[in-house]
Amino acid sequence: MEGMEIQTLSRTRRLLLLYCSFFRITALVVGGGLAMLPVIEEIFVVKHKLLTREELLDMTALTQTVPGIIAINSAVYIGMKIGGVPGALAAAAGAVTPPFTVILIIASLFPRLDPKNRYLLGVFSGIRACVTGMILVTGCRMFRRTVKSGLECAVVLVFFVLAVMKVSPALLILAAIPFGWCYVWWQTRRLSQAEQAADGGKKTEASSEPSAETSVDPDKDGGRGK
Amino acid sequence: MNHCIVLFFQFCKFSVLCFGGGYMLIPLLTAEFVDREQVLTMSEFGNLLSVAQVTPGPVGLNTATYVGYVNAGFFGSLAASLGLVVPTILIGCSAAAGINRWKDTFLVKGMLKGTRLAAVALIMFAVTIFLGMSVFTRTIPWEALGALFKFELPVIPDDFRVSPAGVLICGVTIVLMLKTKLPTTALLLGSAAAGALLAAWF
Repeated sequence: MEGMEIQTLSRTRRLLLLYCSFFRITALVVGGGLAMLPVIEEIFVVKHKLLTREELLDMTALTQTVPGIIAINSAVYIGMKIGGVPGALAAAAGAVTPPFTVILIIASLFPRLDPKNRYLLGVFSGIRACVTGMILVTGCRMFRRTVKSGLECAVVLVFFVLAVMKVSPALLILAAIPFGWCYVWWQTRRLSQAEQAADGGKKTEASSEPSAETSVDPDKDGGRGK
Repeated sequence: MNHCIVLFFQFCKFSVLCFGGGYMLIPLLTAEFVDREQVLTMSEFGNLLSVAQVTPGPVGLNTATYVGYVNAGFFGSLAASLGLVVPTILIGCSAAAGINRWKDTFLVKGMLKGTRLAAVALIMFAVTIFLGMSVFTRTIPWEALGALFKFELPVIPDDFRVSPAGVLICGVTIVLMLKTKLPTTALLLGSAAAGALLAAWF
């Protein structure tokens, strides 16, 4: 059903739809990339039926795993799903145009503002304080989602201290990748060892009833000891 | 023109390194443009981010466009936006379509685990930068922190001050974000108004 509807939209119409939709989304939605999600759902899932809800969910997970700004990631991946590479280009162009224009206008007006006006300064310090709170809450939510053990907490702390000591953030992220490999390798090895141990424990427990192996083991050890 | 090409590649780098959303750009941008190249002061960066935050559109894109503009005008912001977009498209075309298939492999899992831990730490670092600009009206006394690491008594400088308005707005924002579902627009506009009012008061 949905496949047929995609067929009925011509190629150029689809590209135009992508460009205009993402133009609208970034022009109207204030805040981060995830705030765009309900609007994306409304346009592409409910109204035009170009994506299923499951596809959008997969996409959301994907846009948060690959590097890049979430807003551009969603534009690129949804564009690619609906219209291939040209679709991705159209959607990305649509997402970039409004912030680009608006910021250009503001940036060119900004130097004309009076930097000594105390109300203006008040407005800015108010927003800064608000942004501080927002980043803090976002960071804490990320912390709760990602940090699963005391060891991981310690790792975050080490990275934090290194960042405070002015180690370049780019370097820290690059260093985090091999660290992650080692960590996951160590974790899976420990898990499989624990599983083996658990399996072994079950076996001995199970075999302790007939008491065949358990009675043999001390004998063997005793024999070796002597 | 050369400058714009450099900017383009700088933002390509940021885009590739930006795990965990737009806020991750803050430590990357401050390290590059405030600490290393000194194109911006920390306070200018704070204003710029405030503008980017209240302007409609994704914060990361807004900030990038603005930083590009400060660096090299119109073409600078063009280079910055393109720099953020191009790597994403390249990654999308090549690898990422298959990442759902590969996401349980050791390489992808390890990379995600590591970068996420680093991202959490770096966002917390961005919080300290912002605390220094809003709640503590002066910058956080790094010298004192450095002294702490060397196990000397921390010397708190005379200009270490706490801004009551900053504490108030920041605290209220946190509470509202945790307890209510107010849209960020409302929070931002409210704190802008509160900032102006408090500035009139004190």
